[in-house]
Amino acid sequence: MATMNSGNNSNTPATAQVAMPSQKQTVSTAKTVDTQSVLKRLQSELMALMMSGDSGISAFPEEDNIFCWKGTISGSKDTVFEGTEYKLSLSFPADYPFKPPKVKFETGCFHPNVDVYGNICLDILQDKWSSAYDVRTILISIQSLLGEPNISSPLNTQAAALWCNQEEYRKMVEKLYKPSV
Amino acid sequence: MVSDSIINASIPVASSNPKDFAKKKRANRSAKLKQCKLDARREQWLSQVKNKGSRQELNGGGGACGQGMQVTNERGQLMEKLAIKPRGEAEENGGYTSTYNDFDSPSNSPTSHTSSLLEGNDSGTNFTGGSSSSNSSSSGGCCSRSMSEEDNEGDDDCLDDWEAVADALAATDKKQEQLNSSLDSAPERDDNVVHMSSQQEASDPKVPAKDTSQQNPKGRGAVPGSPVGIHAWRPNDAFRPQSLPNLSKQYTFPMNSGRHYRGGSVWGCKSLSIPTSCPICCEDLDFTDTSFLPCPCGFRLCLFCHKRILEDDGRCPGCRKQYKHDPIEGETTKDAGCLIFRAARSCSMISRS
Repeated sequence: MATMNSGNNSNTPATAQVAMPSQKQTVSTAKTVDTQSVLKRLQSELMALMMSGDSGISAFPEEDNIFCWKGTISGSKDTVFEGTEYKLSLSFPADYPFKPPKVKFETGCFHPNVDVYGNICLDILQDKWSSAYDVRTILISIQSLLGEPNISSPLNTQAAALWCNQEEYRKMVEKLYKPSV
Repeated sequence: MVSDSIINASIPVASSNPKDFAKKKRANRSAKLKQCKLDARREQWLSQVKNKGSRQELNGGGGACGQGMQVTNERGQLMEKLAIKPRGEAEENGGYTSTYNDFDSPSNSPTSHTSSLLEGNDSGTNFTGGSSSSNSSSSGGCCSRSMSEEDNEGDDDCLDDWEAVADALAATDKKQEQLNSSLDSAPERDDNVVHMSSQQEASDPKVPAKDTSQQNPKGRGAVPGSPVGIHAWRPNDAFRPQSLPNLSKQYTFPMNSGRHYRGGSVWGCKSLSIPTSCPICCEDLDFTDTSFLPCPCGFRLCLFCHKRILEDDGRCPGCRKQYKHDPIEGETTKDAGCLIFRAARSCSMISRS
């Protein structure tokens, strides 16, 4: 009886030890599969973006890291941002597209929904994210956000207050616009 | 005469044994599937033979166009029969019984009766154990049966054709197993059937009408009042098997003679509305994925991504609404709707491979 018990006792940790690495292995393989599918998705997004020929938006991965992209959007015509161009950084999580990428303005942007650090308050980049969105739709959405800000929940209260005066706002945009080289 | 023909028929079976031997393993696995298809094929042949007997007796062997029409009809019947196959086992059994009776009927001699019984037993062993080597595969058994029957009315030149056809049938079976789809083989085998009948007509244009009727006494009796039978079974025939579909239905099938090309084009048209790759992971959608419509908004995605989303927040990427959790109901309605298209797809698959 005692030997049986001891046998059981010695067996239990052994099986646990065996089980642990196998679990780790499955997790790691799942992650590699995920990474590969994210790679495929990002590659096809890049292809689609370059083939689409949308005017005013562009994006391209940084050197040797397809999970970090640099994008540019230009201000739409007939808005206070006309003639300006903004650089953005897009950082894709490992579970993209099930989670949204982190998008920030690299160029300073005087906008009610963009804070001084370049963070963007846009619903589709947070709770309204859908895996059907892609880089192209994100950039188009940000481009249209420039001309149609959401004044009710501003990150930049000064910009929100000034939005009603479009002429003054235009002057402010021109004054603060520092195009990055 | 009858026993002679049976001996003749057994020769090609024996010669084709080594070829069939490799298939034996797989015959066991898909025995049930095959049984059903066998029944369909056999039934089709028998009805054709019967009909030919009665028609040739009255028409004197004329009317090749009638033959063509009949072939078309039967092709549709086979398609339809295969399509409705998953409905139930009861139907299968019923079909089998009737077929078996039909098979006995052409020759009343006890020799052929016992031989057919023996053959039936052989194939039965194959289905369960797969250990018999004399009649190594179920398709071989079927071919030998059709041959023994058809040989009665043909001469020896015809036998070569039958052998070729039997090989073609076996090849079709093999291909179909590789594709691993229950419906795939329907059009291909149909082609063979059509080929067979036309070959027979060409190589043996003057089949003695009385010969057929002599050996087919019950077959003639089974279609009592049919004057000029263009169809294998008339829709109002009392002896018509329940499993056969209505003829009017068959013409709704999108594929006829140019089946391969049209099947391909149908698939091509369909692919315009269904994305070829998953919009989420960009992997190619397979047939299961393309027939998978999880959300009424029409947003399609692959099963993997759908599962992933269900584990997450469970909202459709297309409309952001919560997925409804009634996949069973959705699947059945979708299956019924996509049956024809699935056949077309498998067609294109065969032509591609």
